[in-house]
Amino acid sequence: MLLVVTYSRRARETLRNACRAHEETVVRRFGRAALLRETEYGAFLACRLRERHAADVQIQRTEPFNEFADAPDSVREAAVAYEQRESPNTPYDRFAAGTDHPPSAAMRERDL
Amino acid sequence: MTAATPPPSFTLVLPDDTQLSGPVVDLRGRPTAPPRSALVRAVRAGGPVPEPAPAVLGSPPGPAHDHVGLLRTDRSFDRRAALAALAAARGVQTPHDPALATARRRLRAMSAAPLDTSELREARRRAAEAGSQTERLRERVATIRGRVTALRAANDDVDKRVLEDAEDSLAAATRRLSEVSTRRVAAGQRLALLEARARNARDDRERRLRLEDRIGNLERAQRDARVAAVAPAFAAARDRIATRVSTGGDTVSRSTALTGALAAARLAPPRAPLVVAPDVVALLGGVAAAADALAAPLLVR
Repeated sequence: MLLVVTYSRRARETLRNACRAHEETVVRRFGRAALLRETEYGAFLACRLRERHAADVQIQRTEPFNEFADAPDSVREAAVAYEQRESPNTPYDRFAAGTDHPPSAAMRERDL
Repeated sequence: MTAATPPPSFTLVLPDDTQLSGPVVDLRGRPTAPPRSALVRAVRAGGPVPEPAPAVLGSPPGPAHDHVGLLRTDRSFDRRAALAALAAARGVQTPHDPALATARRRLRAMSAAPLDTSELREARRRAAEAGSQTERLRERVATIRGRVTALRAANDDVDKRVLEDAEDSLAAATRRLSEVSTRRVAAGQRLALLEARARNARDDRERRLRLEDRIGNLERAQRDARVAAVAPAFAAARDRIATRVSTGGDTVSRSTALTGALAAARLAPPRAPLVVAPDVVALLGGVAAAADALAAPLLVR
């Protein structure tokens, strides 16, 4: 999908109007951002917004996140294990200490 | 109210250079006088204007003039906007004023983080071009390599020259592919750099947008407070004006746009002249009564 985020009042207003007028192309709307369907028409709307508001519009192409393909096993397994921890107040790093789960600092530094 | 001091005088200069002065200038006997709209424009413009338009010399209009500067029987009246402007004209202070002033000052001080979007656009275009060029060349290299492999396999049946030619063009295509791939990497890096810079600039924009929203909210709150501050005085003035109007002959409902505008005009500090239509003057019982009721300099037309 195309994620459109606006950074000025005028751009936000244009996005709002575009969303109202083209509901079929809008997957989801959040205040000053919207997810557009990945059709040529979605791209058309995105291009128009970029053309009119230039730097006040950010457009990202999004993809569904598949944790089995997009994240290393160690990360996915750490997340599962941590969500199943016994004591809900344990911070992650204390939970991970002495296990095979990666420390949070290491995960922060590694790009996917 | 300021009814004790006489309304300020002004001078109207007509296009034929006739000058008329006073707290009240009555143009009813002058059929050649400029139309009402031209007079209102002249009052708002203030001072000399390009000829042959009329000019008005006197106090500049206050914030309420947009709402009370032209009094006709068929006018409309935006009560909220008029009361907010009236309060501003009367110097009403609200608890939101200091925060609003601070927020506006901060917005002015914020530089608009000029971002060269054409540079970013060019980088996107180059990265896309380099990408598709690389794809094309990769396919071409694969095709030629297939041919070379086939030619080599058929070794004995093939003219040596044909094989050499094919190997030469494979080498050339491979070289070209490596050049283009290098360019693709460079274009990708440049795009990533510019996008990172754009992300940083967006943080500034984000702060700016938040500030603009805050100003919008404060302005609404200020407006509400201003309207509330003058609403009682306005209601009382409208009742008084309605009484005057009805005793002048015709009966006018207390809630019409005209009584609202007349009441707001009465409450606004007298500054620039108000342009008043003759039928409104008649409803108020004549020029003297109108001047008294509105406590403002008048231009009757």
